[in-house]
Amino acid sequence: MADVAIARLPETSAELRKARALSLGARCALPVAVLLGLGFLAPILAIFGYAFATPRSFDLFRSFTLENFATIFSPSNTVWVSFAWSCGFALFTVAILALVAYPIAYGLTMVFGRAAPLISVLFVFPLFVSENVRLYGWVLFFIKNGVLDGTLKWLGLPGGPEVLFTPGITLFGMVYTYLPFMLFPMTLGLALVPRDLVDAARDLGAGRLFIWREIELPLAMPGILIGMLLTFVLAIGATAEAKILGGQSIIVISHDIEIAFTYSQNWPLGSALAVVVTVFIGALTLFALSRLDLDRMLGRR
Amino acid sequence: MADPVGKSLSRRSVLQGMGAGLGALAAGPFLGAGSAFAAREKELNILCWEGYNSAQVLDPFRSQTGATVKAESLTNDPTMINRLRAGEINTWDLINVNNPWARKVMLPEKLIKPLPKAEFEPFFAKMLPEFKAPYKWAMSDDGKDLLGMVQRFGPYSFVVNTDKISRKTAEETGWDLFNDPKLAGKYGILESDDWNVFNLFVVAGIDPFKTHTPEEFTKFDETAKRVFKGAKLIGDIASMNQALISGEIDLHLTGGTYSVSPARADGHPNLRAITPLKGPLAGGKGGISWIEVTSTVNNPNLSPLALEFLKYVQDPKVAHTVAFAEGTFNPVAQMGNKACFDLFTKEELDAIQWDSLEEEMARSVEYDIVPDYDKALDIMNAAKRLRG
Repeated sequence: MADVAIARLPETSAELRKARALSLGARCALPVAVLLGLGFLAPILAIFGYAFATPRSFDLFRSFTLENFATIFSPSNTVWVSFAWSCGFALFTVAILALVAYPIAYGLTMVFGRAAPLISVLFVFPLFVSENVRLYGWVLFFIKNGVLDGTLKWLGLPGGPEVLFTPGITLFGMVYTYLPFMLFPMTLGLALVPRDLVDAARDLGAGRLFIWREIELPLAMPGILIGMLLTFVLAIGATAEAKILGGQSIIVISHDIEIAFTYSQNWPLGSALAVVVTVFIGALTLFALSRLDLDRMLGRR
Repeated sequence: MADPVGKSLSRRSVLQGMGAGLGALAAGPFLGAGSAFAAREKELNILCWEGYNSAQVLDPFRSQTGATVKAESLTNDPTMINRLRAGEINTWDLINVNNPWARKVMLPEKLIKPLPKAEFEPFFAKMLPEFKAPYKWAMSDDGKDLLGMVQRFGPYSFVVNTDKISRKTAEETGWDLFNDPKLAGKYGILESDDWNVFNLFVVAGIDPFKTHTPEEFTKFDETAKRVFKGAKLIGDIASMNQALISGEIDLHLTGGTYSVSPARADGHPNLRAITPLKGPLAGGKGGISWIEVTSTVNNPNLSPLALEFLKYVQDPKVAHTVAFAEGTFNPVAQMGNKACFDLFTKEELDAIQWDSLEEEMARSVEYDIVPDYDKALDIMNAAKRLRG
């Protein structure tokens, strides 16, 4: 027994050392982990810290109060209006994009097959141009005596509709901006639907609607849902569309947060608002992901 | 006797340190630029309104001194001052804000330090007559210390398209234009919320620069809701000028030479900054003006280039460049010096409305601090939300 124990000792300590030391992978990932820790976690920690600081102060971690949250949830505070508008805009953006992007994604998949996701990357190219520049471009298009109005008048027609600086044009701007974020995952999802399965269903006498409902849609669902989730999360934080195209006809929640950090100089209130929005989006995402049963959707069960 | 290390490391000090560290992290790209204990002969950090951060102004200074000059522009005073309060006092060397902040806030809070008076006061002799030393806003309350140098200034009330509303009508009707139901949907509001607080008070017939009664706040609230509801758009300077030029709006609240001069220089002299003939401001004055004061930050390791830069911008040629730096065009106090004034072309003088500048400044009270600004701003933000 003693022999065995002596023989095993060095091995055990080596194992212990090995267990204590980081694996090669973890060591390689260390610089990225540090970078993420500093660049990603630290600001979030600061925001959480400020959310509990005395209003209109800079007492980060030096004071603790729930006053900021009390202000947000006070019945007299109208910030819920901004929050409701942001949620509404985000929901409508997702719904419209689902309807708009699906036929495009379907067409791309039909024409380009497995290369469709690659082709859909082309829709990402506008993202290389600053969002503000693209939105100002739309202002020039829709503005009185601008591209649309001016051209119609030049053709002897009564001129373009007055759509700028309205909630409707804000929604249009959001649909335009977030199209690639819906299209790409959706195309990827549709490209993963095996054509053989569709052909087999058709051979067995299934109709177009039946095939779409029972095969294509469920198999493409992970891509569709990821697109919807991504678009919703981005859209709920959108500001530029409401500011530039909408002319601030609506104050969205992210704009309220911005005002708190700039003109109001109430960093604690802005942070508390940011925390509420983050928690809401986080909870919604986790809930959606928990309901998103990939195995079932992929028909592996 | 020094405190033992263990004793001085209290929970509070650790939390303070963490707070400062996180605050600095959130401060962004300038972290490390201050490098608190390093020699700073070759670096200069400027916190300013747009214009001073332009390459036209900074590049000659960079090549002249071989220094690394960084400038960050922001579009409101409270943000800049709070950056110093939040711990960036070690980062910045110069801060350029509107007139009241240096003597009323930044000096009492020890965020800035006085300039060597003997060295800088002579510059005021060459400025326009109203800036002759001792110039109120450049001095401390007791009149002993020189707190900063002045340069850009201008009237800032509202802007009209004179093809739609004549200058005479605008000046005579004044702020009541924004009380006229017929003009609802025909005006914009510049996104400059501190000025909007001032101007909504004035539209409501109340002097903004005093402590307000509950009745006055009720009137302010009612005015804010109505004026915001009637606005076609709220936006930045570019949006306002674009909307005026295209005919989307006929006038906009909050604006002046600073905002409209780029459009005027671009061939739209029909757009004009207006200073009403009368109003509810002190002395029955109709408008509000601003004067920028640039001060040295109370940085424990202040760059020696800070003073050099303040002298550099006094040069007639550089002052002219500052007046016409990218973004906005403005009159400068140094126009009192013939060598500087002669550099301005007729078109440039027209862009900054030189023809009426003196009378408009005389009709304006100077920018000041609203004692109950926070409350007014909260009311205004709530009013803005009800636009939809």
